[in-house]
Amino acid sequence: MKDLDKGFQADENHEPKENARRDFLKKSSLLTAVALTPGVAVKAAENHLDEKVAAAFEKMPVNITVNGKAHKLSIEPRVTLLDLLREQLHLTGTKKGCDYGQCGACTVHVDGQRVNSCLTLAMTVDGKKVTTIEGLAKGDELHPMQEAFIKHDGFQCGYCTPGQIMSAVACIREGHADSETEIREYMSGNICRCGAYPNIVNAIQEVKNGGQQV
Amino acid sequence: MKQFQYIRPATQQSVLDAITKPGTKILAGGSNLIDLMKRGVTSPDKLVDIQKLPLRGISQNKGNVMTVSVGALELNSAVAENKIIKESFPLLSMALNAGASPQLRNMATVGGNMMQRTRCTYFYDTAMPCNKREPNSGCGAMEGINRMHAIFGTSEKCIAVHPSDMCVALAALDASVEVKSKKGTRYIPFTEFHRLPGETPQLDNTLATGELITRVIIPHNNFAKNSYYLKVRDRSSYAFALISVAVGLDIRGGNINEARLAMGGVAHKPWRLKAAEQFLKGKPATVANFEEAASLAMQGAKSFGHNDFKLKMAPASIIEALSNAAKLS
Amino acid sequence: MKQQAQHTPPFTEGINRVDGIMKVTGAAKYSAEYELPGMTYAVFAISNITKGTITSIDTKAAERAPGVLAVLTHLNAPKVPGYEAGKDPSKPPTTGGPLKFFVDNSVKYNGQPIAMVVADSFERATYAASLIKAQYNKQQHETDTEKNKFKAAAPKGGRNGGDYKRGTPDDWKAAAVKVEQEYVVPINVHNPMELSVTLAHWTADDKVTVYAKTQGVKSTQNAIAQAFKLPVENVQVTTKFVGGAFGNALRTWPHEIATVQAAKLVKRPVKTVLTRELQFNTVGYRPYTWQKVSMGASADGKLTGIIHEATAQTSSFEEFTEGTVNMTRFMYACPSVGTVYKITPLDVNTPTWMRGPGEATGAFALESAMDELADKLGIDPIELRIRNHADTDPENGKPFSSKNLKEAYEMGADKIGWSKRKLKPGTLTEDGWLIGYGMGTGVFGAGRGRATVKAALLDNGTLLIQTSVTDIGVGTGTAMTQIASEIFTGIPVKKIKFELGDSSLPPSPTQGGSTITSTVGGAVHDACTQLKEKFQQLIGNGGTDKPDYVKVLKEKNLPQLEVTVTSSGSTEMRNFSSYSYSVHFVKVKVHPKTGVVRVDNVVSVADSGHIVSPKTARSQIIGGAIGGIGMALMEEGIMDHRYGRYVNNNYADYHVPISADIPQIDALFVNKPDYRVNPMGAKGMGEIALIGMSAAVANAVYNATGKRIRELPITPDKLLS
Repeated sequence: MKDLDKGFQADENHEPKENARRDFLKKSSLLTAVALTPGVAVKAAENHLDEKVAAAFEKMPVNITVNGKAHKLSIEPRVTLLDLLREQLHLTGTKKGCDYGQCGACTVHVDGQRVNSCLTLAMTVDGKKVTTIEGLAKGDELHPMQEAFIKHDGFQCGYCTPGQIMSAVACIREGHADSETEIREYMSGNICRCGAYPNIVNAIQEVKNGGQQV
Repeated sequence: MKQFQYIRPATQQSVLDAITKPGTKILAGGSNLIDLMKRGVTSPDKLVDIQKLPLRGISQNKGNVMTVSVGALELNSAVAENKIIKESFPLLSMALNAGASPQLRNMATVGGNMMQRTRCTYFYDTAMPCNKREPNSGCGAMEGINRMHAIFGTSEKCIAVHPSDMCVALAALDASVEVKSKKGTRYIPFTEFHRLPGETPQLDNTLATGELITRVIIPHNNFAKNSYYLKVRDRSSYAFALISVAVGLDIRGGNINEARLAMGGVAHKPWRLKAAEQFLKGKPATVANFEEAASLAMQGAKSFGHNDFKLKMAPASIIEALSNAAKLS
Repeated sequence: MKQQAQHTPPFTEGINRVDGIMKVTGAAKYSAEYELPGMTYAVFAISNITKGTITSIDTKAAERAPGVLAVLTHLNAPKVPGYEAGKDPSKPPTTGGPLKFFVDNSVKYNGQPIAMVVADSFERATYAASLIKAQYNKQQHETDTEKNKFKAAAPKGGRNGGDYKRGTPDDWKAAAVKVEQEYVVPINVHNPMELSVTLAHWTADDKVTVYAKTQGVKSTQNAIAQAFKLPVENVQVTTKFVGGAFGNALRTWPHEIATVQAAKLVKRPVKTVLTRELQFNTVGYRPYTWQKVSMGASADGKLTGIIHEATAQTSSFEEFTEGTVNMTRFMYACPSVGTVYKITPLDVNTPTWMRGPGEATGAFALESAMDELADKLGIDPIELRIRNHADTDPENGKPFSSKNLKEAYEMGADKIGWSKRKLKPGTLTEDGWLIGYGMGTGVFGAGRGRATVKAALLDNGTLLIQTSVTDIGVGTGTAMTQIASEIFTGIPVKKIKFELGDSSLPPSPTQGGSTITSTVGGAVHDACTQLKEKFQQLIGNGGTDKPDYVKVLKEKNLPQLEVTVTSSGSTEMRNFSSYSYSVHFVKVKVHPKTGVVRVDNVVSVADSGHIVSPKTARSQIIGGAIGGIGMALMEEGIMDHRYGRYVNNNYADYHVPISADIPQIDALFVNKPDYRVNPMGAKGMGEIALIGMSAAVANAVYNATGKRIRELPITPDKLLS
C-alpha cells in the first residue's frame, strides 16, 4: 500500500486544511474535464497524475491491528472495515452478504466485541484490535468452536460460517449461551440461508457444556 | 457513497463547533447512518465521529428525585445488560434486547438509537417519492405498500413510523434528554423529543441544528416488578415491529396505582397511551379493565389499507402486554 | 426447552464435510475472493422505470469521477460478437430471447442495468455509478400477476406446456365430498448468502479466465465461449466454492456477459458483485403463482377426480415454465385428473428455478387441498393419503423403481407424536397457545444423467477424483468421497481427494434438480470400480482387499494409474417411474391474540434411496425444511405495482428464517436402496427437502386455529383477519 497519508489528520482538533483541499478539487476537476475527450469510454486512470495527488487529500492514515498484526494504512474514510479486510488486506474469510447490517456474514470482533464490519467505517477502528475468522485458530490447531462446527455440520455452503463462528464465540463469551432458547435468540443476527441453525445451536452447546476456553 | 471529510474531535467543544456547519453529520455507532449513506439517502460532506467524547456511563443520582443517567454513547448492549437498568428499569432492558441483533446492539449507541430514521421503504429507495427524504416529492406509502406504517398521528405528508424499540420504553419511562449546544444545555422530555410528521416530515425530532445529545435521564419509578415489552413481528427476532407495546405497572394490592403504556410501530414517534394510563389508574388489574384501556388507546386510529390489521393487532397486543406485565397470563 | 427431550440427540454420524476445515477457517475461496493484479470493480446503474426507452443518458460526471476506467452504456458498449450473430449467448433453458445488456435503449423491467461503471476500487465505482442520470420515454407497464391473469396462455414451448387429462376430471363435481379452492404462492427470492459474482480476466486476446458464481462451470464456459465466439477451451471457468444458490446460478445471466465484455474493454480483471437489491431482479426468483385445485372423493375417501390449474408470471421476453401441476398427475391413485398450466408475461425480469421448483408451489396447493378434503371427510389426513396411495404410476402405468411412502408416513407420525393431534381444529392448547399438527408430502423425479469422471491412484497414496461439477453447499465433495471410499476400502478418507468446480476437468452436469449424487456419484462409482479392476489386473491374481497401492505403483514404476469413465443411467430405467418422496410433519403454536406462529417441532422423512453421506444428507433435509418454513411463514417478494419496483429487496424486509424461528429438526431416512437408479441405490433429496413443507405448516396452522390460509406467507396479520 502506498503511503499517501500526508493528508489531513483525523484526530484531536486538527481540522484539515479545507481551503487547500477545495482549491485542489476545483483545479482537479478542471484538469479532468480538459483531459476527457467526449465519447471516449475508457480513460486510463494511471495516467492521471491528479488522481495520485487527489489520493493524498482524500485518504487518511489509520492504524489497525488485525489478528495480532499491526497495519499502518492510508484509506478513504468511506471504506468500511469489511471492504478493507476483503479488498485491501485480502482477508476474505469475512464475508459480504448484504452490506447493510442485515445478515451477519461480516461479523468480526473489534476489541473483543462482535460487530457488523459492513457498517463499521474502517477509520473508526483506528487504534483498535480486530479479530477475524482467520485469527481464531492457533496455527493448525482449530478453535473449539471451529471443531464443533465441523463435528455438528454447522454449515452447508460455508458462506455464513465465519460470521456464525465469530458470533458463536462471542455468544459464549458474553454469557448468552445458557440455554438452547438463549443461544437461538443471541445467534439471530446471523442468517444461514442453507438452514444449518439446529446444527449450529448443537455446536455452541457442546462448546459451552464442554467448558472449553473460548 | 460520496467522499466525505472525517474528523474525530477529542473535546465536546470541538464537536459543538463542528456540527453547526451545514452538511455535517454526527457519527456515533454508525449502524443506521452508514446504511443510509450507502443507499444515498443522506450524503454528508463531513462526519464528526464523537466516539472520543466521554459520554458513557450509567449512574444513579440520589438527589431530591432519584434518577438514573445513561450516557449518550453508551452501547445498546451495555445498557441492556447493565445491573442498575435490569433492576430498576427491566422494561428498557427488554426493549433493547428486542431490537436489531446482538452485533448491531454492540455498535448502536443510546443517542444514535434515538436518531435512527424510519425504515419506510419509500424513504430508503431514492427512486421513490418520499416527503421525508425529499420534501414535496409526495408520499409513496400513503397509497402504496403500507403494511408497516402508522395508524396514529399521521399527516397528509407522511405515514412513516419510528423504528426504535428502546425509544418506546424510554417514552413510557418518562425519561428526559439532555442536549448541549454552544448556547448551553437544555432538557427535552423524551415524549417531546420525537415529533409527528405534520407538514414537515423531514424533521424526525425536535433537536436543533448544532445540538448534541449527551445523556438520557430516567426518573425512579415503581414499575420494575410489573414491566413488559411485547414485540409482534413477522419472525421471532431481528425484525422490526408490526406492533410493540411497553408497559409499566405499579400494582399495589391488586390495584393499579400508576400505569405507563407506549406503543411502537404505530406512529412517527413512540406513542404514549395517556388515556389508557389515566383509565387504569386506581383500577384493579383485570383483563376486563385492560380491554377497556385498549379500546380507549385505539381512539383516533386510522389505517391505510395494508396496515388495516394493526387496528386489531394493536389493541390485542396492548391487552396481551398488560396481562403479561400484571402476570395474569 | 421442553421439546428437547423428545429429540434425537445431536447427530454426528458419517464422515465430516471434506471441505469443513476450509470453511471454518475462512480459507475457502469463493468466486469474489481471488486476488488478481490490477483488479477493477464494476457497479451497475439501474433503471428506475419499468418499461420504455432511454432517451438520454448522462455519464459525464461518472466518467470524470476519480478512479473510473470506463462507463458502458448501450451507446458505447463494444459489441459482443455472439450477440450480433443473433445467437442467444446465455442459452437459457427457456424459449424466447434472454435479455442482453447495453445492446439497445429499451428498458424491460425496473432495476435493469442501464450502465456499468468500471473503476479501480469498489467505493469509487459505486459512487460513480450513482452519478449517472438517464431520461426515459416511459410506457405503461404491467407487473401484477393477479391483474394480468386474464392474459395467461399455455406456454409455447418447454417441458411443462400443454394440458393434461386422464379419465373425466370433471367427475369431482359429482363427488360426495368436494373441495374447490384457490391458492397463491407469492414471489420467493433465492437470496443465497453469497452475492452473485463474476470475475473476468482476459489472459490473451482470445482467452479469458472467469471466476463465477455458477452451479455449472461447463454451461457458463459454453455460454461465454458462444457470446465471444471463442473456442470453448479458451474459456476457463473456476468455481471452487459456491455460497448457496438454490437455483439462481443455474443459468448464465446477462450481467456475467457484461462483466466479461468490460474486462476485454479495460484490459484488466473486472469483478462484478451484485448488490443484495439486485439479487431480487437480476438472477431470477420463484414466480408468483395462482392455483386452483378442485377435487372430489367418495364418502369413504377415495378420490374420484382432480383438476389442478396454475397461472404463473414470466417476463415479456422469455417463457419460463416449471412443473407446478405435474405432481398432481401421479401422486394419488385417482382415475380422473386434469391439469392446466398457463403463464402470463409481465414487465419483470425472467423467473428461474428455485429449490423444489414448481413442485414446491404445486405441493402447497395439492397438499393443502388434500388436508381440506380430509377435514371435510372427517378422517385423518394420513389415512386419506393411504387410501389413495398410488401403487403404480397412474400417469403412465409403470411400476415405481422404489416407493416407501407408507413407511415414511409411519416413521414421521411416530416421531412427531401424531396421535396427539386432534381431528377437530382449534381444540388443543399449551400455555395459552393454540397447538396444531400438520403434514404434507413432497415428491421429485429421481433420475441419472451423464457424467465423466477421472479417477487416479497416485504413487503418494492419494486417490484423486476429478470432474467439473460444482458444490453449491450440499456436500457433493463429501458424498463423492464417501462413494469412492466404499469402493477403495483400503484408502483412508483423508487420502481421497475430490477435485471439482473447474471447466477444464471432465464434464459433469450443472448442479441442480437433485441429480448430482445419482449422476456424478454413479460416474464416480463406475470410475472407481474400473480403476480398482485396472489395479487388480496390474497385480494379477492374488490381490488382497487392502493392497498397498503405493508399493505396487512404485514397483511398477507408475507415477499414477488412472481411468476416465463416462457413464449414465441404465436403459432399464425407462420401464420404471422413479421418484424421491418426502413427508414433512410440523407442530405449530399460534398465539391466539397476536396471530404469531411459532414452529415448535419438525420431523422430515425422506424416502430417497440409500443415504450415501449421512451427516451432509441430514443437513440437507434440515436445510430444505427450514427453507420450506420460510416459504410458509415469511417469504414474499413485494412489488409496488404502481412503480413496478420491489419494496422489500433486502434481508431486513424480505424475511428468511433466523435461528430463533427454528426448533430442533428430526431428519429421518427410510434408507432403502433403489439400485435401478444407480449402483449406490441413492436418489436425490435436495428438492424434496423443501417440497411439501409449506403445506405441512399451513395444515398445522389450520389444525391449531381452524383458519385456512391459502395465500402464503402465513404472517400474523392474516390470522387476525
